[in-house]
Amino acid sequence: MRLKRYEDMNLQDLDVMKEISSIGTSHAATALSKLLSKEIRITIPEVSILGYEEAVDRIGEIEELVTATLVTMSNEVNGLMLFIFKMDLANVVLEKLIGKQYESFMELDELAYSALEEIGNIIICSYVNAFTQLVGVEIDLSVPSSTVNMLGGVLTVPIAEYGYETDKLMYINAEFIVDGQKLSDGLLMLPDIQSLNSILEKLGVS
Amino acid sequence: MAEKELKVGIGDMKFARGDSRIITYALGSCIGITFYDPLIKLGALLHVMLPNRVDPNDPKVFKYADSGIRETVRKLTAFGMMKNRTIVKIAGGAKMFEMKGGSDFGNIGQRNAAMVKKILMEERLRISAEDTGGGYARTMLIDVSNGDVVIRTVGKPEKHL
Repeated sequence: MRLKRYEDMNLQDLDVMKEISSIGTSHAATALSKLLSKEIRITIPEVSILGYEEAVDRIGEIEELVTATLVTMSNEVNGLMLFIFKMDLANVVLEKLIGKQYESFMELDELAYSALEEIGNIIICSYVNAFTQLVGVEIDLSVPSSTVNMLGGVLTVPIAEYGYETDKLMYINAEFIVDGQKLSDGLLMLPDIQSLNSILEKLGVS
Repeated sequence: MAEKELKVGIGDMKFARGDSRIITYALGSCIGITFYDPLIKLGALLHVMLPNRVDPNDPKVFKYADSGIRETVRKLTAFGMMKNRTIVKIAGGAKMFEMKGGSDFGNIGQRNAAMVKKILMEERLRISAEDTGGGYARTMLIDVSNGDVVIRTVGKPEKHL
């Protein structure tokens, strides 16, 4: 294996991931746009390899309440995908889907919670679908699981899961632009190291 | 009174004596362990992430329950801590995502808690209070002037362990 850790990725590797991600996130934006029947544009994503604390700082506050959806990947790529909703993006989605806005994630009822989980799942699935087509790998996705929790706690999940391999996360950050308003998403894709190597190999970087 | 507040990151440990507070934020599946010797007002907060250190050369001793607890005890003992006086409290070890279909993904919290208890027992340190498990993140704080340990979670009142 060429890479032993996420942080071994060089600029070329990151550029390739950025290319792939930009197609993935635009698929996700299209899916979201259809669902909400709203025009949604998306900025070119940044792909960064971050430590736990950097990732927390980039996304928000450590004790900030977020809603996160997690899907595990298996088959030719093993790992996990995490989508993090902050209140602003969540409210755009909820307003359109169930006609209601919420002050805080603590107030979410069952319906709102399921709606967010489903949207998180759709964003992840459309991203991964684009990814599998481009890279030419088969990826199976689990059913989604969600939580309303402190951002810091949510991010310990991938950090602990791969804690024996790496202390870093791969954070794909793009901004959704809805009605001229920029809304930040937090998508994390975390293939295990073996899968990351085979992805880059398939893409001809090695 | 000028109180200092020390912040403990993931896989780290801080200790202090007297008028200080030590805090660690948003423990998910990780475990926070406070050590407090009331006689000399020596307190520590350790934040471990995984059960055991597999590679003995891994320099990040505080990342793992086994090496983290042993190193903390070694350090505190050097500063005069006596095990028979020491009050130990633990918090964290949550399961942040409930996976459908009985996947064992995300059971790390439980494994962490089991390992922490095993190592503390080996070290002959008794746990006097704990707040572990569940599905929510916790912020843990110890006031070294009196040994008070506070747990903060979203949507619930503060809890004194």
